[in-house]
Amino acid sequence: MGGDYAPEETVKGAVLAAQQGDVEIFLVGSANILENHLARHATARNASIHITPATDFIAENESPVAAIRYRPDCSVAVAAKMVKSGEADAFVSAGNSAAASVSAIQYIGMVDGIYRPSIVGALGSFAPNTVMVDLGANVDCKPHQYLDFAIVGSVYAKQFLGIAEPTISLLSTGVEESKGSEAVREAHSLLKKSGLNFIGNIEGNQGLSGKANVIVCDGFVGNVLLKFYESIGGHALGWTQRKLKKYPFAGFFAKLLFNRLFQATRISDETEKGGGGILWGVDGVVRIAHGASRAPHIANAIESAMNAVRARTTDSLKSELEKYSQGGKA
Amino acid sequence: MTVEEQIREIVARITRVDPSIITRESTFKDIKADSLDVVQALVAVEELFEIEIPDEEAQKFQSFGDFVSYVESRVSKAGKV
Repeated sequence: MGGDYAPEETVKGAVLAAQQGDVEIFLVGSANILENHLARHATARNASIHITPATDFIAENESPVAAIRYRPDCSVAVAAKMVKSGEADAFVSAGNSAAASVSAIQYIGMVDGIYRPSIVGALGSFAPNTVMVDLGANVDCKPHQYLDFAIVGSVYAKQFLGIAEPTISLLSTGVEESKGSEAVREAHSLLKKSGLNFIGNIEGNQGLSGKANVIVCDGFVGNVLLKFYESIGGHALGWTQRKLKKYPFAGFFAKLLFNRLFQATRISDETEKGGGGILWGVDGVVRIAHGASRAPHIANAIESAMNAVRARTTDSLKSELEKYSQGGKA
Repeated sequence: MTVEEQIREIVARITRVDPSIITRESTFKDIKADSLDVVQALVAVEELFEIEIPDEEAQKFQSFGDFVSYVESRVSKAGKV
C-alpha cells in the first residue's frame, strides 16, 4: 500500500468509501500494519473491508520494472493479479504510479490493439467539451501511441461527455503538419490516415477553444500542461487579491468569484471526475490516485474506480477498437 | 516453430513492429524497444521456455541474435528442444 500518507490516510479513505457506498474493499499490504490501522476505525461497515497480505512493496523512488522482474509479491503486483483473477473488479493505487502501470500491463494485460496505458482528463470549466490525453503515463511516446490516445480519448468523450462524434486534434507548435517533434510529425501522418475524426494540429492557445473535443499529446507535455492549467485559478485569485489589497471588501468578492461562482480554483477536482485518473487501455480498471492523497481523495478514487467498472469503460474501448479495426470511425 | 521464431514473435508483439524487420543483427534500439519492452520480452521468454535469464547475462545482449543464441543454448542444455 503506497502513498505519501499511507497507510493511515489510505485506510481512513477506504473506511470512508465503505461508509459512503456499496463496495467491498481489499486492503493489500502488510497484514499486521493494516490490521492495526483498520482497528482504529471500528464501524459497522468495516465488515466490507478485508486485508490481503502482500509481503513486499515498491518504494516511490524504485524502478517500476522491479515490480514485474524481481518483486512479484509486492502490493501493486498482488492487487493487479486480483483484478486479473476476477477477485477484484478494480485496483486503486496512490503509490509509485509507474509501478502500478507496469504491474497492470504485466499482470492484467492490455486491451488488444492498445500498446500502453494512458491517462485521460476532462478540462472542465474553461473547456467543458474537451478532454486531454495522455496526462502523464507515457513520458516518451512512439508515434503509434498517439493513435491509441486518440481512440481512448474519443471513447472517453463519448462516454463521459456525451459527444457523439468527437473531434480530435494533435497538440503541436503549429497547425501545419510539418510542425512539432519527429514523433509528433509521424503521429500526424498516422492520425490523418486513421479514419478517426482528426481535424489536424492544435496549438496551446487554442486548447481551451472547444474546437477539439480530444487533445492528443505525449504524457510529458500533458502532465506539465495539466498542472499549469490546474494552478491558474489559484494564481488568478492570489493576483487579484494582491491587486485589490487596498479594498478589503473587493478582496472578499474576488474570493467569492474564484472559489464559489466560477470555481476556477477547483479545476483539479473537475479533471479527476468521470474517468479521470483511470489507466485507460488496461484490460481491467486501474485507478491512479495522487501520491499526496488524503482520506477523502482515496475515497473519491475508489468511487471513480467503481464508476468506471459500472460504466464498463473497458468494454466500450474494446467495441470502439473493433469498429476501428473494421475500418469504421472510432 | 524454432526458438528464434518464437522469440521474434514475442518481441514483435510487445514492441508492435513487423516481425520481418527483426533480424539477428537488429539491436533493441533499431526496433525502438524501450526498457519496459525489453523487460516484458525477457519475462515472456522466461515464462515460455521456463528458464531464468540473470540480469548480468541480459545486459550483455547487443542484438536480437545474442538474445536468441543465449536462449537457444539454455533451452538445449535443459533438453527442452
